[in-house]
Amino acid sequence: MRRALRGEGAYLLMLLPLLVFVAAIAIYPLLFSFRISLFKYRLTDPNQVQTFVGLDNYLRAFQDPIVLTSIQVTLIYVAGTVLLEMSLGLALALLLASEARLMRGARSLLLLPMALPPLVVGLVWKSLYNADFGVIPYYLKALGIDVGRGPLAELNWAMLAVILIDVWQWTPLLMIIFLAGLKGLPLEPYEAAFADGATRWQRFVHITLPLLKPTLLVALLLRTMQSFKVFDVIYATTGGGPGSATTVLNFHIYTVGMTFFDMGYAAALANVLLVIIAILSALYIIILERQQL
Amino acid sequence: MHHNLWKFLNLIIVGVVLVGLIGCTAPVAPAATAPETAPPAVAAGLDACQGQSLVLASMTDQYVAAFRVLVPKFEEASGAKVTLDELGYVDLYQKLIADFVGHTGNYDLMTVDIVWSGEFGQNLYTLPLDDFMARDKAELQLDDILPVAWTLGEWQGTHVAYPLAGYANVLNYRKDLLEQAGIQPPTTQEELTAAAQALTDADAGVYGIALLGAKGPAVAQDYMAWVQQYGSRLLDDEGNPTLNTPENVEILQHFGDLFSYAPAGATDYWWDQRETAFRSGNVAMMEGWSIARAGYENPDISSVVGNVDLTVAPVKEGMEPQFGFGGWGIGINADSTPEQQECAWQFIKWVTSPEIQKEWLRNDGAPIRRSTMTDPEIVAEYPWMPILLESFEKGDGDYRPRIPQYSIIQDALGTHVNAFLVGQETAEQALEAAQKQVEDNWQ
Repeated sequence: MRRALRGEGAYLLMLLPLLVFVAAIAIYPLLFSFRISLFKYRLTDPNQVQTFVGLDNYLRAFQDPIVLTSIQVTLIYVAGTVLLEMSLGLALALLLASEARLMRGARSLLLLPMALPPLVVGLVWKSLYNADFGVIPYYLKALGIDVGRGPLAELNWAMLAVILIDVWQWTPLLMIIFLAGLKGLPLEPYEAAFADGATRWQRFVHITLPLLKPTLLVALLLRTMQSFKVFDVIYATTGGGPGSATTVLNFHIYTVGMTFFDMGYAAALANVLLVIIAILSALYIIILERQQL
Repeated sequence: MHHNLWKFLNLIIVGVVLVGLIGCTAPVAPAATAPETAPPAVAAGLDACQGQSLVLASMTDQYVAAFRVLVPKFEEASGAKVTLDELGYVDLYQKLIADFVGHTGNYDLMTVDIVWSGEFGQNLYTLPLDDFMARDKAELQLDDILPVAWTLGEWQGTHVAYPLAGYANVLNYRKDLLEQAGIQPPTTQEELTAAAQALTDADAGVYGIALLGAKGPAVAQDYMAWVQQYGSRLLDDEGNPTLNTPENVEILQHFGDLFSYAPAGATDYWWDQRETAFRSGNVAMMEGWSIARAGYENPDISSVVGNVDLTVAPVKEGMEPQFGFGGWGIGINADSTPEQQECAWQFIKWVTSPEIQKEWLRNDGAPIRRSTMTDPEIVAEYPWMPILLESFEKGDGDYRPRIPQYSIIQDALGTHVNAFLVGQETAEQALEAAQKQVEDNWQ
């Protein structure tokens, strides 16, 4: 017994609960979803008939106009949120890097949005944006700006409006990541630059940015992956509208799965999303490993 | 050592894959069969509930307040334990479907939206109540329940839910604003549009009408109401979807025109925001479900107390008047035990009985019985009851197709009517796209 707990045996024994856990909650559902994606399977069918259709669901996905627009919408959403959050996060990190008491206080305050569930955030912002009763249109109108049907209901503004909600909530996360990166930078290059008479801007462009590159990459991939999976904010604010202006892929999958109960097709769509995110995670892991070298 | 570890991990993964594949090939759930309903031949009373416990899933409509009051009384009278689970519209539907499909039998009683009748009936989710009804015919006073109320749960001749709360689509209007403008309450759609235009003063922040425009069920159901009021249909005589007929396109144009006289945010209104708009006094008229009527006289939530009246919903000029009817039935889970089903039936009988109906109504419930709606006390308390009765007598419970494919129609209209309202699609494009989406998903 004692021998079994040494060396390799111990590894295996201690890994076992985790492996069983992972198998049960991650691998089994994954296989199940892959399997039903090959079937025509409607959950509400009283006879639960499942007909094998091969790759039909995947072929259907790439001909479905809603899927194609929703992929487009998702890409715009991802690009918008990630770019804004990266630049704002970096700016905030540089601004709040000092250890003065005020800055420390500001940093903690800025973390608050992250602690809220996205669904709650969505509902709060939905009322803030409301064209007739909301606070934001109220002040915009006071400034003489025409808000039309309200930010969430105007075709040209809805996407920006939901992107801003995401930015409000997740910029602090990037700020934290960048702050950690900044704190870890070596001092010597800065001292050398200072001696050479480099300006602040030159120091930022030629020292801070290159040294921060690995951190930036990690943050970029992390947010991109999360952004691709967005659902709750959209669900709570626009329901994918107006029209299909904010119907991201994940929201469309939800409609197919939970409104039409067309499980085979929903699983196929989910697997498409899975592949996109898997590629991004692979990149993420590769970059993390390189950093350790 | 690493090598062996890898071998072990691989072994486990292969094992899991095998188990997974084997597990996946097993049938997911037993095939549905017609439930064996053999209620005892003798009429059972409330004592059938002794020691039973039931879970009632209720939509959080106004009538849930009546359940909160009546459920404890039923528990006292019957000895049953009834847990009331209050759920929003979408949550209720999804939780019920999950319960039915998984045959978990969590909910014994559930409120059933009129438009779910077809789906629940076809899939045998809820217990057909006809045997119970035949057995207890003597005490049910079925003739007293208004004919249109039976659409709350009737599907192809069987009753998969029992009438619980009948709603009429009515026109609420501000007496004061209409009087000031010298406008009579509109009786036709043409008059409604004219009145909405005349009453709109955007600079003063007053609008003619409040409508549902938000993407999803809200805009879909409001548009369907207008299709009904213009005497058109969404299905042909064979039951095939015909969303994009020229008639329906024209109606969509009319519906869109009305939004020019609605608050700017109306294309994003759900039911609650439409109510808020009307109750806050910014809007002169609003079509909506009659159940909200009593709330306008409640100063805690309404700033238009004493200024509201209602009339039957206007229809197209020259059309034989018919009024949109909706509301909720109450059903019994086909997966509950026979004892629970018996007790659940006792609950339904009890809550829909003429004696309890008055209390049901006074606590924000909605009527289904003629005797309740003509009761002198009730009419004195709710002076609009005769108009409701008129709406019920000419009620049309099928303007939203009560068929298993309803959610597909609602989703397609919910997306594309909204797209039309915000200018993403023209009326023709919108209904063309909705029709195509319905056809693609029709099964």
